[in-house]
Parts: sequence; C-alpha cells; structure tokens
Amino acid sequence: MGGFDWGSVWYAVPYMLRGALVTLEISFWAMALASLVGVTLGLISVSDLRVLKTLVRGYVYFVRGTPALVQIFLVYFALPRVGFELSSFWSGVVALAFNSAGFIAEIVRAGLQSIDVGQTEAALSIGMTTRQSIVHILLPQSLRRITPPMTNEVITLIKNSSLLSVISITELTRSAQLIIAERFVPFELYAALAVYYLVMISALSRASEYVERRLA
Amino acid sequence: MTVPTQPLLRIRGLSKVFGEVPVVDRVDCDVMPGEIVMVIGPSGAGKSTLLRCVNRIEVPTTGEVVVDGVNMAGEHRNGRLVADSPAATARKRRRIGMVFQRFNLFAHLSALDNVAIGPRRVLGIKLADARALAAEQLARVHMSSHIAKRPIQLSGGQQQRVAIARAMAMRPVLMLFDEPTSALDPELVGEVLEVIRELAEEGMTMLVVTHEMQFAREVGTRVLFLDHGRVLEDASPRTFFANPGQARAKDFLRRVHAMAEG
Repeated sequence: MGGFDWGSVWYAVPYMLRGALVTLEISFWAMALASLVGVTLGLISVSDLRVLKTLVRGYVYFVRGTPALVQIFLVYFALPRVGFELSSFWSGVVALAFNSAGFIAEIVRAGLQSIDVGQTEAALSIGMTTRQSIVHILLPQSLRRITPPMTNEVITLIKNSSLLSVISITELTRSAQLIIAERFVPFELYAALAVYYLVMISALSRASEYVERRLA
Repeated sequence: MTVPTQPLLRIRGLSKVFGEVPVVDRVDCDVMPGEIVMVIGPSGAGKSTLLRCVNRIEVPTTGEVVVDGVNMAGEHRNGRLVADSPAATARKRRRIGMVFQRFNLFAHLSALDNVAIGPRRVLGIKLADARALAAEQLARVHMSSHIAKRPIQLSGGQQQRVAIARAMAMRPVLMLFDEPTSALDPELVGEVLEVIRELAEEGMTMLVVTHEMQFAREVGTRVLFLDHGRVLEDASPRTFFANPGQARAKDFLRRVHAMAEG
C-alpha cells in the first residue's frame, strides 16, 4: 500500500469547497420548503380535518416506507411529466424537501401531542378555537421539545443531499467523485469527504444546542 | 311577591355514556342567578363529567344544557336543533369560566399573560388593555405581587388563584370549579377557598365540585349529591348536612367525617 496522497486532497479543496457550498444551498432551500410543508402537515395531523389527516397519513406512510434514493428519482422524473421543468438544482431541492417534510410532519405532530391535554382544555375553556389553542398554547410550548429531533432531521437532510449526485448535481459528494474519476484517489478523497461533512454537521449541532438553551 | 327569573343554567336529561357506562345519568337541574351549587359525592360519581358537559369540553351523549338562554349544543331553526360549528361552540364557551383540579395554567406564559391571553386572543382586545384588565383580575385574587412569575415559580394555591383570575377575565356569567383544592397541599387550601368565597359573595353563579364539606356547608346555597351519575339529593346545605334523605348520602357523609377525624 502506497502513502496517503495529500497532493490530491489539496488539489480538490477548491472544487470541494464549491461543492460544499452547493450542498449547503440545496439543504437550506430544501429545509425551508420542508419546514413549511412539514409544519403544515403536522398541524393538520392534530386538527379535526378528517380527510386531510388521512391524506397526510398516507404521505407519511409513503415517505417512511421508501428509500430516499427512490424518492429522488421519482421526483426528478415525475416533475417534468406534470409540467414542472425545473433545473436539476431545484429538482433536488424539491426531492429532498419531499422526503424531509414527511418526517417533520411526524416530529411536529408528536411534539404537539406531548403537551398535557389540560393545556388544551384550559385554552378551550376560555373560548379559544382549536386553531387558536394550537397556535397560542401548544406550538410555543412544543418548540423546545421539537428542536432536538428537528436538528436530527436537518442532519439527515444534509447527508441525504449526497444522494443528489445521482441526478448530476455537483454538490459536495459529486465534486469529490469527479476528482476521484480524474486522479483515481478514492480513499483519500472519500476520507476528505467525510471530514467535510463532519465539519458542517458539527457546526450545525453546536448552533442547535445554543438554540435549545435559549428556548429553555 | 317573587320576581320571576329565568334559570341561568338549565340542564335537562343530561347523560354522558363512555362505552356502555353512563357516567352522567339523566341529570335535570335548574340553577338560578347567584346560586352557589356544591356538587358532592363519591369519586367516580360523575361530578367532573357533569361540569365538563356544561361547557362542552365533554360532548354530552344526550340531553340539553342552556346557559343564560343559550343552548350550548346549537340553534333551533324551524323546530330542529342545528348543531353548532366548532367556532360557535368556542364563542359560547367564553361565557362560562372553568377552574381545573390541576390548574392547567399555560406553562410558557407569566401569570399576567395567562390571564391576559383570553381577552387578547379571544376577545381581540389590545395587548396593553388586556394586560391592564389582567392586572385588575390578579389583584382581585391577591396575586398582584406575582404577576411576572411563570407557573412553575408559583405554589399550587397561587397557581389556582391565577387560574381563577384567568377565567374571570372573560367576564363569565357562570363559573365551574372542578375540585379546585384537591391537588393542593392542605395548608394552601384556605387561600383558594377564600377567593371562591369572595366571588360567591359578589353574586357570581357557580357550580363547585368539592370534597371540602365545611366549605360546601358555609358557602353553598344548595347541594347536589351525585352517585353513579344520578342526582340523589338536591337540597339546601343545612338540610343536606343535618339530615340527608338518602342512605347513600348518609353513608358518604359518615365516611367523609371518619376521614376528616383521621
């Protein structure tokens, strides 16, 4: 076994930093979209909208029961068929959000349902509607409980974004793979790749711990 | 000469069945304005469920509840009862205050905002005005020096007094107390009963589920004795405590006294 090819790792730095930026950009937009959709679906799950609730349950069932990779291909090939001609970047955003929204819906539902039923009864007793009790009483109280699982979800989303290399988005993983193909240094670059992801995700965990403390 | 008055609360044929078990069983009751009705009976008698059916936190299986002329279930149109939308039910609930055994103060809000949030969000009053109103209500329950505290920083008795202020801030026509002192340490019971007594003296109409027999006797204008969901006695406190008509009421009182004497 030869020595570790540091030269290729240095050579890859500008490409991989650019890739890391794409990963962060995609993850950011995907998370924004997934949060919006996921929180809405989670609220529907605890509402008394029967039909919508059933639809949400079906959606969550599908997202949980199929691999993210399959979902990415499905979204990527399905979008043009239903008239959405998106760039591969935005297809990737939609695909990741599609996956993540299902899990966020469950996180929000569980968070809301973990609040003592007496809080809801008290809210109703002063004349609040179910919607008001959720917005003004349950949501603020569940924020702190929701933060740790939401952090996990962001981490999962960032890691899942590496799967987008299959629809030729040059995010972090694909930028590494391109250089591997060029210089044939798989071990060095996959090791470097792991470090890039670790750094991003550690920074994120720190930020989340800070938020959690602030909400305490 | 008597002034003909409408009952403030009219309960007719009210039942609540869980599974096959009638927890509240064909209850009829009229409560006149200013009456202080003490609801007593053994645990599992259906006292709390009866109260919760009045403000529809629990939906009755059958029967009718009319509060201040307003049917809690819906509106009569062309001789048929059309069920209320959830929003309409919420509107009707504003007029009925409820105080819970476990206080149920909003854990994320200060005492002041616990009281202000109803006027603010339900009645749409401006925040500053809602807080002023809340401060007034907190003063009535002798909690002015604790308005900035969160529920966990308050004793049980203090929390319950804030809960009473929260209900009163909605200017209810009827107050429901569901075992308001049962979750309290013995030395904190007095301060809460005192606040309820003051409300009673101001003429507030109320239904109070309680195990405090001395309080029931002193403050109540009427006693309902429930067992197995049925109203077995409906009498003045004096009559009830001196000479309960039913064997089961006698038995209940004997056991309560035995417990009190330890």
